[in-house]
Order: sequence, then structure tokens, then C-alpha cells
Amino acid sequence: MKTVIIDPITRLEGHGKISIFLDEKGDVENAYLQIPELRGFERFCQGRRAEDMPQITSRICGVCPVAHHFASAKALDDAFNVEPPSAAKKLRELMYCGYIIYDHILHFYFLGSPDFVVGPDAPASKRNVLGVIDKAGLEIGKEVIKHRAYGQKITAILGGKATHPVCGLPGGVSKGLVKDEVQEIKDMVKSCVEFAKFSLKLFDDIVLKNKDYVDLIKSDPYSLKTYNMGLVDKHNKVNFYDGMIRVTDQDAKEYLKFDVKEYYKHISEHVEPWSYMKFPYLKAIGWHGLEEGKKSGIYRVGPLGRLDAADGMATPLAEKEYKRMFETLGGKPVNSTLAYHWARLIELLYAAERAMELVADHEITSKNVRNPVGKPGEGFGVVEAARGTLIHHYKLDKNGLVEKANLIVATTSNAGAITMSIRDAAKGVIKKGRIDDGILNKVEMAFRAYDPCFGCATHTLPGGMPLEVNVYDSNKKLYRGIKRL
Amino acid sequence: MKTIVLGVGNPILKDDGAGIHVARQLKKYVKDPDVTLDEAMTGGMNLLDMILGYEKAIIVDTVKLKDAETGEVRRFSLNDFLSVHSSNPHDAGLLEAIKLAEKLGEDRIPKEIVIVGISVNETQHVFGEQLSEKIAKAVPKAAETVLSELKGGKR
Repeated sequence: MKTVIIDPITRLEGHGKISIFLDEKGDVENAYLQIPELRGFERFCQGRRAEDMPQITSRICGVCPVAHHFASAKALDDAFNVEPPSAAKKLRELMYCGYIIYDHILHFYFLGSPDFVVGPDAPASKRNVLGVIDKAGLEIGKEVIKHRAYGQKITAILGGKATHPVCGLPGGVSKGLVKDEVQEIKDMVKSCVEFAKFSLKLFDDIVLKNKDYVDLIKSDPYSLKTYNMGLVDKHNKVNFYDGMIRVTDQDAKEYLKFDVKEYYKHISEHVEPWSYMKFPYLKAIGWHGLEEGKKSGIYRVGPLGRLDAADGMATPLAEKEYKRMFETLGGKPVNSTLAYHWARLIELLYAAERAMELVADHEITSKNVRNPVGKPGEGFGVVEAARGTLIHHYKLDKNGLVEKANLIVATTSNAGAITMSIRDAAKGVIKKGRIDDGILNKVEMAFRAYDPCFGCATHTLPGGMPLEVNVYDSNKKLYRGIKRL
Repeated sequence: MKTIVLGVGNPILKDDGAGIHVARQLKKYVKDPDVTLDEAMTGGMNLLDMILGYEKAIIVDTVKLKDAETGEVRRFSLNDFLSVHSSNPHDAGLLEAIKLAEKLGEDRIPKEIVIVGISVNETQHVFGEQLSEKIAKAVPKAAETVLSELKGGKR
């Protein structure tokens, strides 16, 4: 095979870019994903007060502020050597469920489902939530908006502010819940359970009953056999807020299980010359290029990675759906990238069910929501962000100021897998140089399934293109490019 | 007229936070009880949530334009943009969010949505709270544009 030398493709600022290289026959030789990486975070944090970190880190990203907020609060619990009261942990987890509810609803209905409901080859102008409503009906649109808002409302009640929470402190949370709020949350999450069930039914009707879609999901170009990673509870069930980090292999066997304090013993980061993005991999296995299989240290995180890395879901309805997914798709692990969408809906159901349990817990109105902190030191925190495992690691000086800060974010963990999925999808759908919008969209679908979050939401208007796809011919000349407006 | 002025941006991503700086500067000058001043580090659906229920919304943000110098301040109406989506791959664009809300019969969408844009030519991806010189100079200009927009709205 010929080696593709990419020169001098500029590293790109501002948005994601997929570059696809064709050979002389017009087939795909290789494909790359470039994502802008925010820089200077460690320096930015140095010398800041530790207790400001949950607010600062929640501003890194407009997409997952709640995930950063609690990964940070947990790292501070550890750094100040304090265990939050049990009620505080439950309040944090309840709020976390609210975040998963709105995030997963937003991804499925706004970004994931248009490819299936409207169709992968439909004109780009129709492949959005408006197109979904045209097909599925106005009533569904109203339900989507209502339940997404419920998720937001839950995080706002608990977090003080919907988009950028202020409640997480070392040793607990700043405020508890009062009775009226408990009732309000109960009513909302009850409705969310029903909506999650409805969404899974919709996925059944639109995706699973359509043979073309099932074939596409199961097809080789959309499969990737990597290791899988996610947080699990003591029964090895999926947990978003707490637990051990578990890694399973290509036969769904446990390969590793470790506490976040040991992450640097198990995860390393590889650097490629063509990307600002780092590529995390399992240290003991090593970096062997963008390859799948047991000999490559690349792993996947996010909804499908989590479900693959666990033995089940901790709530009854989600557990049933979990089993059904693996039965339908041929057992564990499921390697079909497009099954991320299905896994996401199962997690939506779990988050709603788990929120029901938490809000019904008698301790949830406890006033004991914070413990006094100890002396500052080093701390580690981990949560499952909607798009995968998120790790915060700080070193504090004796005055409680930040000396060092390191984060491993979900989309970075998925960088290797996303790049391979794009490459494989491109190889599968682009033949003899034939390219149209629908074909390029099928490449994007491999990318979209991961719900990647890049550039961490800078806000410059008109924004315009979160993603650019360029195809180059065998002379490295631009052959076809699209910018998604 | 019940109006909201929203400064949009990321306050820890240098020039990206220009809209937030404008909102903070305006605090001294906006005393009208009908005018709400707020900051937003978000886009799409969340932005829509924040402007619902007002008759008029003035959004202050950085903009990327083909024909403008860094730091130029311009006024737009929402429809001047093909897509307003805050470079956030996970969310809907504001325009998409508004169209969706209209379709679903939402009756609290502001009748008038104005965007006061500060032109930037490079998107920075380095953390920091300081604005670059040209953008810092644009902040009072953008604040003035918002104030005259508020006056105009009262006619």
C-alpha cells in the first residue's frame, strides 16, 4: 500500500475538518479528522483558588458544563481529603441525571435521528430537527422540547443555574432540596421515563424495522473492534457519577478495572504530527497506529463504550432494553458505531429511572449536604460525561492554590476511534471517485454517532461550519469539499 | 418595550468573551426597568430559552465576516445570517431553534432580534481572560451601539 504523506495540510483553527485522500482509481486511500484543541489550560489554572475550579472548568465547554463541574468537585473532594455526606452525593447524581436527560435528548432528536428519520441521502436542508418533525409530527416535536427543558430545569433547580452550575463544592453541595422542589422533580422525571420509552419505540419503528438501516448498522465499514471503557458500580453496572473505570476487550472480557487515582498508570497519550489532538491509548498495550484489534491500545468511550464495558444497567427498564440491544445485534461486544444512537436512548431511560429512585429517597431533603474540608493536596475526579469518561486531576499547594491541572476529556479519548470510523466509512462508501452530498453525509454519520464535542464551543457568529469535509485526488489536489452551513 | 440584552461568549477564551465584556460594561448605563441585561455562554436552544418572553432581544457577540476589519462593530438582524449556531456541534443553531419554536406554536419569541457583532478574524483557542487590543477598543463601541438600539426601540 502506498503511504499518504500529508503535507502541508495546515492544522485547522476554528472547526473540525475531515480530509479524505483518494488513490488513482478514485478509491479511498486514507482519511483524517482534525479538531481544534484548546490550549493553555494548565497555565490558565495555575495559581487560582482550588474552589473556583468547578466554575472555571464548567466554562471550558458550552456543551458539558455539568460534567466538568462535578469531575472538578470530585477532584476537590479528593484533594481536600473529604468525603461528601451521602445526601450530597445523591443530590449531585440527581442533578447529573438531569444533564444526561437533556444532553441525550438533544443529540438524538437534533443531530442523530435526522439521518434515519429524514434519511441519510435526503438534502442537507431537510436533515435537521425540522425535517424530523415534518416526518414524525408536530406532537413529537412538542414532547422533545418539553422533556429537554425538564432536564434543564432539574439541573437548574439543583445547580442554581441551568447552563453553568454553581452548587458543587469540595465536600458536598451548596444547597439541598425542599419538599416542593422534590415534587416538581418527581413529576418531571416520571414524564421523562415515559418519553424515553417512547423514544426507544420510535427507534424500533424507524430504524430497526427498516432492513436497509439494520444492514447499514451491522455493515463492516461502520464496525470497529476496539477496547471499551466506562465507569461501573460494584456490580459492574453502568454509572454516570461514580465507581471504578472498567475496560473490556474485543471478547467483552474484563481487561482492566482501576480507580481514577491510577489513571496515569493505564492511560498514555500519543501525538500525531498532523493533529493538535492527542490520542489516548492503553499504556500496557501501547500505541500501534490507528488500528483496531487486541494489539492496539485504542479504546472507545461514550454510550456504546459504556454499555460494552459494563455487565448491565442498574434500573429495571433500562436493563431490559440493554439485553434486547445485545441480543438483536449479535451479543457482546457490539462494535457497530451507529449503535451509539441506540445505546444513548437506553442511557436516557436509565438516567430517568435513576432520577426517579434518587428523588424518592428519603435522604434527598437532608440538610446535611456538606462536610468540612481537610488540608489541600492532590486530587482525582472522574464522571461519565454524556460523550464518555472525563477525568480531572489537580495538585494544590499548601494554601489551596492550583499548581497543576490535567484533564482527559471524552472526545480526546475517542479521537483514535473516530478517526478510524471516518476512514472505514469513507472506504466503504466512496468508490471510483463518485461523490455526492449523500455519500459524504454517510461519512459524517460515522463521526456524528460519537457526539463529539470539539473546540469546546467557541461562540463566534455566524459559526456556520462545525464540520468541513474535503476530498483530495491522488495528486493531493482538492477534488470536492463541503462546508456544512 | 420589554427587552433583553444578552452578551454571548466564553469569558475564559480571550476575544471569544467580547460579548460578555460588553454586557458587563453596560451594567453602569442601563437603568431602565424594562431592560434585562444578562450574560450567556451558550448557544441554540439555551439561547432561545433565555430570550423567550421578551418583545425584543439584542444579542452581542463576536462575528466572522468576509469584509470587515478586526474590531469593527456592526448591527444585523437575525435573518442576515444563514445560520446562527455558535460553532457548537452539539446544539441546534439559534435560527434553527427559533424556526422550531415557531413551528411548534411558541408565542413568546421576541418580535425583533438584533445582533450587535464585533468582527474577529482569528478564532483563538488559547485560554485567557484578556481581550486583544483591537477587540478591547471595540467593546465601548459595541456598548454604544446597544445603547442607541435601546433608545431607538423606545420611539
